[in-house]
Amino acid sequence: MKIISCIRPVPDPASRLVINESKTWIKDQDLSLVASEADNYALEEALRLKEKHGGEVVAISIGREVEGKTLRAALAMGADRAIHLVDEKFRGADEFATAEALSRAIELDGGADVVLTGVQSDDMGSGATGVMLAEFLGWVHATIVIAVDVSSSGTLTVQRELEAGMTETLELSTPALLTIQYGINQPRYASLKGIMAAKKKEFKVWTAADIGLDRAGAAGAMLEVKEIQVSERKSKVEIISGTPEEAVTTLVEKLRKDAKVL
Amino acid sequence: MILVIIEHTGAALKPNAGELLAFAARVGADFGMPTAAVILGSETTAIVEELQTRKVDRIFIVDNPALAEYGPEKYLHALKTIISIQKPSIVVTAHSARGMDFMPGLSVALRKPLVAGCVEYERIGDRIVFTRPIFNAKLNMKVETREATPYLVTITPGAFPADVVPNSGTPGASVGSTVETVEVDFSGVSSRRRVIAQTEASTGEVDLSSAAVIVSGGRGLKQKENFSLIFDLAKALNGAVGASRPVVDAEWLPREYQIGSSGQTVAPKLYFAIGISGAIQHLVGMSSSRCIVAINKDPEAPIFKVANYGIVDDLFKVVPVLTKLINDLKAK
Repeated sequence: MKIISCIRPVPDPASRLVINESKTWIKDQDLSLVASEADNYALEEALRLKEKHGGEVVAISIGREVEGKTLRAALAMGADRAIHLVDEKFRGADEFATAEALSRAIELDGGADVVLTGVQSDDMGSGATGVMLAEFLGWVHATIVIAVDVSSSGTLTVQRELEAGMTETLELSTPALLTIQYGINQPRYASLKGIMAAKKKEFKVWTAADIGLDRAGAAGAMLEVKEIQVSERKSKVEIISGTPEEAVTTLVEKLRKDAKVL
Repeated sequence: MILVIIEHTGAALKPNAGELLAFAARVGADFGMPTAAVILGSETTAIVEELQTRKVDRIFIVDNPALAEYGPEKYLHALKTIISIQKPSIVVTAHSARGMDFMPGLSVALRKPLVAGCVEYERIGDRIVFTRPIFNAKLNMKVETREATPYLVTITPGAFPADVVPNSGTPGASVGSTVETVEVDFSGVSSRRRVIAQTEASTGEVDLSSAAVIVSGGRGLKQKENFSLIFDLAKALNGAVGASRPVVDAEWLPREYQIGSSGQTVAPKLYFAIGISGAIQHLVGMSSSRCIVAINKDPEAPIFKVANYGIVDDLFKVVPVLTKLINDLKAK
């Protein structure tokens, strides 16, 4: 079974985000990039599927850093090979353009049985790219997946999370794309052996031209960024002091008379 | 036309229907466009009657046994049919598990833009500029769409409050919408995805998305047993219980209680954050609440940045006193 794991490099969560001069993105040139958190769960799930059912795991990423550090980390965790899409032309991609580029690369690599992505990225955070990728590939998909099982006939049984604690179990034919929910597993750490082995693994680098994409990045995007702003905090907190008895009495009074929510 | 894709349970409208109609009413008024709602389902009579009590100009129904069960392929097929006939300018649904399961696919199928998780918009001349949160709502991104209409939009729960839309309140008492049935042939739609089972929430817990009061606890409670403080306060307030992610990951509470970017997004009238530091993943799930009360002993905790009222003290001292006061007031 061939499993492709999509990885989005995002600024390390501890980074201070600074908006760039044109106000169209953050200054990410000097930031340390890591895999978006949910993508780690997707990669771990890919590795577990391979360990159980055989096959290979291919990690793929659209790079913003030439050396492909996040893909190297995926190889160290256990992915068999990596495909890195690196081109200035990929800059300014929205979810649509990202999904289109990934679909071209996956097709060029001969497709797969299963593609896994994180449920959402730490930067755009919309959860749209995975479903868009499935539609570009013409595949069936399932979102917010919290359990994956493969039957002997090759169909997938997946459990997905709905709202308010509900879940549903789906049966999918392959090829299929799954967006993986946080907490589905405990992602492993790369071992020293893994890090050494990663250096010898196949690492393809493809440009927009290589995957036959004329309109990549901002040129292929559906959305045009007008401005990025720091989100405003809507309220200034009113700290209520005093002993616990005094504080809760004042609080309840305010909730009733001022906020009128009690 | 603004086309609203209504979420429903099969028997009733989901609570977010009001927010979707509020968004549509506002955009409709700003751009002089009629509003329309579409219901995809099977045996939809009750839902349509409920929808007729809301303010919307037209209602389209696709009522077909094939739609008894949700499936993204069936949804895309039905929506493409309606969109090709009605040519709406904006197609909107909720930024929910359901909405985000089919809207990105519709965007690719139609080669039209999707603004996912919209929290605000502004009219600039004839154009519309949408605002969406990025980086876990630390930043906002304003975007314009490149292609011709329709634009697809999913709206973040709580961003467009429902109470601005007139509601006649009487089922079946129409506020003037016309109901049109759309025939769609589903015979050619592939079924590569099949629902085998659905599980309800483990107990009869209140659906957090519709709770008026939510009392949430975090790591500050120190251990599972102490969550009784949260349940007691929630009970006193007739509210629901929520939790931050560390609580769920530590298995103090099942995942259905989790509020935040990987759990539920809520916007109750009153939200208590108790022993919750306010990681951005949590804030994004509750910061649209109308009134937020934070109780935390750390004055620097980020939760105080979104709170309306704060008590900086030991929750183990404050919460029991608060619960007792609420219960005493109720008894009067």
